[in-house]
Amino acid sequence: MDERNKLIAYKVISIMYFLTIFAIQGVVIYRQFALGQELSDFEDIAIIMTINSLFLISALLYFGAIPIRKLKVKSILLIYVVFVILGSLFTYAKYNIFRSPGLSFEQLFDKLIIIFTILGLMMGFWILLSILGKRRLDKELE
Amino acid sequence: MQYIFCIMEYLYYICLMENLKLKIARVENSLSQQELADLVGATRQTIGLIEKGKYNPSLNLCINIAKALNKTLNDLFWDETNMK
Repeated sequence: MDERNKLIAYKVISIMYFLTIFAIQGVVIYRQFALGQELSDFEDIAIIMTINSLFLISALLYFGAIPIRKLKVKSILLIYVVFVILGSLFTYAKYNIFRSPGLSFEQLFDKLIIIFTILGLMMGFWILLSILGKRRLDKELE
Repeated sequence: MQYIFCIMEYLYYICLMENLKLKIARVENSLSQQELADLVGATRQTIGLIEKGKYNPSLNLCINIAKALNKTLNDLFWDETNMK
């Protein structure tokens, strides 16, 4: 197996990985919104998907696949806000559009706090890994 | 007549894309694609694709090929036609 074979293998594996992830995501959305199943019915898939996405981005950041010259607070906050907006919209759609009766304002606010916290932890984890990855690379260059 | 010129131009560009230098150097060394591939730790298909200009090898592989053929990287991979 030479470098060309490896390159082709990596490309095929990457494409197949993303197709699998998208297919599983499609299954989760279909179960949740079309079949109206509860989270407990596909909790295992949801957990695997979450861990997978979390570690995929973490690995990309740590090994330098996502180029970051400098960690800027402004950019981090912007990404965080975008994630919070997306998470909030998804949660609102899940509980108040696809289900009736929907959640009250207080219940939605509780969900929003959970979104804030989880996304904050996720962002913190990614920032930590970015810093560690950058340090590792700097050490290798010394 | 215009079509013939177009076809000739197309064939000329195909020839340019091919790495004829590598092919010539390999033949000069009396090596088959398989033998060169064995020397540099690649497959015959990879050598064939490099010669056809359809695969960009890594610098390490370029160096190994150049060493195996007793040539420099410039001799094998530098394209002077695109230099100004």
